[in-house]
Amino acid sequence: MSDTQGFAALLGELSTFAAASVRMAAPLLIAGLGEAISETAGILNIGLEGIMLSGAFAAFIVAWATQNVWLGIMAGIAGGMLASLLHALLGVGRRADQTITGLALNFLASGLTSYFFLMAFGRTTSLPECPVLPAVEIPLLSSIPFFGPVLFSQNPFVYFAFVATGLVWLLFRRSEWGVILHAAGENPHAADSAGLDVIRTRYVAAAANGCFGGLAGASITLGTLGFFMENVTSGKGYIALVVVILGRRQPFGVALAALLLGAADALQFRMQTGNSGIPSQVFIMFPYLMTVIVLLFSIGKTRDPASLGIPFDRGRR
Amino acid sequence: MKLRKLLLIALAVLLAAAPLVGQAKNIKVALILSGPANDQGWNAVALQGLKDAEAKYSIQTAYSENVGVADSEAAFMDYASQGYDLIIGHGFQYGDPAVRVAKKFPKIKFMAIEANSKADNVASYVIACEEAGYLMGMLSASMSKSGKIGMVGGIEQPSIIKVVEAYKLGAKAYNPKIQVLSAYIGSFTDVNLGKEAALAMADQGADVLSHIANQAGTGVIKAAEERGLLTTGDSWDQSVISPGAVVCSTIYNVPTLVMIAVDKVRSGSFKGGVFNLGMKDGVVDIAAYHDFDAKIAKKAKDMISDAKKKITAGSLKIPVVTTATK
Repeated sequence: MSDTQGFAALLGELSTFAAASVRMAAPLLIAGLGEAISETAGILNIGLEGIMLSGAFAAFIVAWATQNVWLGIMAGIAGGMLASLLHALLGVGRRADQTITGLALNFLASGLTSYFFLMAFGRTTSLPECPVLPAVEIPLLSSIPFFGPVLFSQNPFVYFAFVATGLVWLLFRRSEWGVILHAAGENPHAADSAGLDVIRTRYVAAAANGCFGGLAGASITLGTLGFFMENVTSGKGYIALVVVILGRRQPFGVALAALLLGAADALQFRMQTGNSGIPSQVFIMFPYLMTVIVLLFSIGKTRDPASLGIPFDRGRR
Repeated sequence: MKLRKLLLIALAVLLAAAPLVGQAKNIKVALILSGPANDQGWNAVALQGLKDAEAKYSIQTAYSENVGVADSEAAFMDYASQGYDLIIGHGFQYGDPAVRVAKKFPKIKFMAIEANSKADNVASYVIACEEAGYLMGMLSASMSKSGKIGMVGGIEQPSIIKVVEAYKLGAKAYNPKIQVLSAYIGSFTDVNLGKEAALAMADQGADVLSHIANQAGTGVIKAAEERGLLTTGDSWDQSVISPGAVVCSTIYNVPTLVMIAVDKVRSGSFKGGVFNLGMKDGVVDIAAYHDFDAKIAKKAKDMISDAKKKITAGSLKIPVVTTATK
């Protein structure tokens, strides 16, 4: 009897842990998918943190003003796209250094959103709140033991992340646009000679990146928190960049990497509260340690798109 | 030639007299904050103190937000070379940088809140946050039905550890069998992480979730609200964030602390050293219970007010534990 009870308790703990991992992986996965599209087309955008922050802020401010979550989500997408297209305008259109432009985007977004937030609410101690998307329990599926609470009782952003993973895979592997995307990132000059519009393809990829990144930001303010604070994304955009590299820009690889880092994050608190006597810093380090280990094992196995980060200039070979 | 000499003398006299005139009425005070000033917590109350002092004494003020440890020496240096009379670093981490800069500016007064560094012109004002943390522990233990409560700390540093440990002691004083889960998130600003840490504790059966994590603590309050659990606030009366979940809050009266320092600089009685200020100085307190007044057990209320009286009178000393225990 006590054995079965112990087993049930363990299963319960495992299921809440897995649910937390999936929940924490969602923003990384959504943003990672966007960046994977962008990098496949040859644009290295390390301004992902800025894109997410712009999305998080735009989603919050519109949802707060209209008290409508869906308008907030649309604003989040728009905010992310605006940030990403600014990067593309400089890095694709004006052929500026994409790394520097990405860095600048992060600082710009951090400064601008903080400024607008201050303009809107001033220095108060009251917390402006916006509506959040509640968790949706999918009928029947959510009552499956273990998998129900882990996969089918989550907030809609989590479901979107899963569906989007499959869709991006179809796009990459089963669509003509996927071929064009790869061509633009691997050998833009050959693509250009074949009559493909490299610049347009890259702009579209940048827009897609903004759309996903903005949604990832919105998932933080509208999916989990219900409020905005300065620099609310607190580095998730950088972690998402790592996720893209770990996942080798492949949708399912990105999903796996996001889940791994989500699990590492969820695990640290469960281990800290276990009163093991190990200093908390060890656990806080855990997600990063995991990243380093995985990167170590994947050395030499990854290959970047040949023209990653190199602006396309038709006149120059 | 004579005119030039006269002018020089006049200028010298003016220059010598200027600080005297300035000191008498218009001192300049600068504040250095670790996070944004509108964090609804730790930094917000400090800025409030500065503004209060400004209104009361018509002093000149300035502040910097989001100053990381690496930039803090430069921030102190900046204000010192601009001739500020009192420069306040609001956090434990500003103690050492203040001492280093203070050596080069012996005339300027430096103050670090919650630090343990001192010099002739550097004072550390330590808020006895553990006194309020102890009472929150008692209260949380009394509100728990499951016998498990949780405490989320920001960065694992002495000023935070002492509150977490006092919280555990307070909880055990009310109910020796209570189980206190504690975790540090390594950040004062990551609200998402704060929320996840609290949810992890809720998943393990904790039904009262407390925090000492500044801005990140708002995530803890949100987690409690989402799960229909209870929570306690920190730094100021956080009941407004979630009136149905926040039972009570610790209050660190930082405005009073800033006022005390400004007063001392104005009257010329500022001294270096480490000073402890707590409930007896009116710097530490706990908020009202608001809607929870009728829901808290009488035994708990009596115990808390009794402990508060003893702490204020000095007959109950809350131990300051600065290394995390199991």
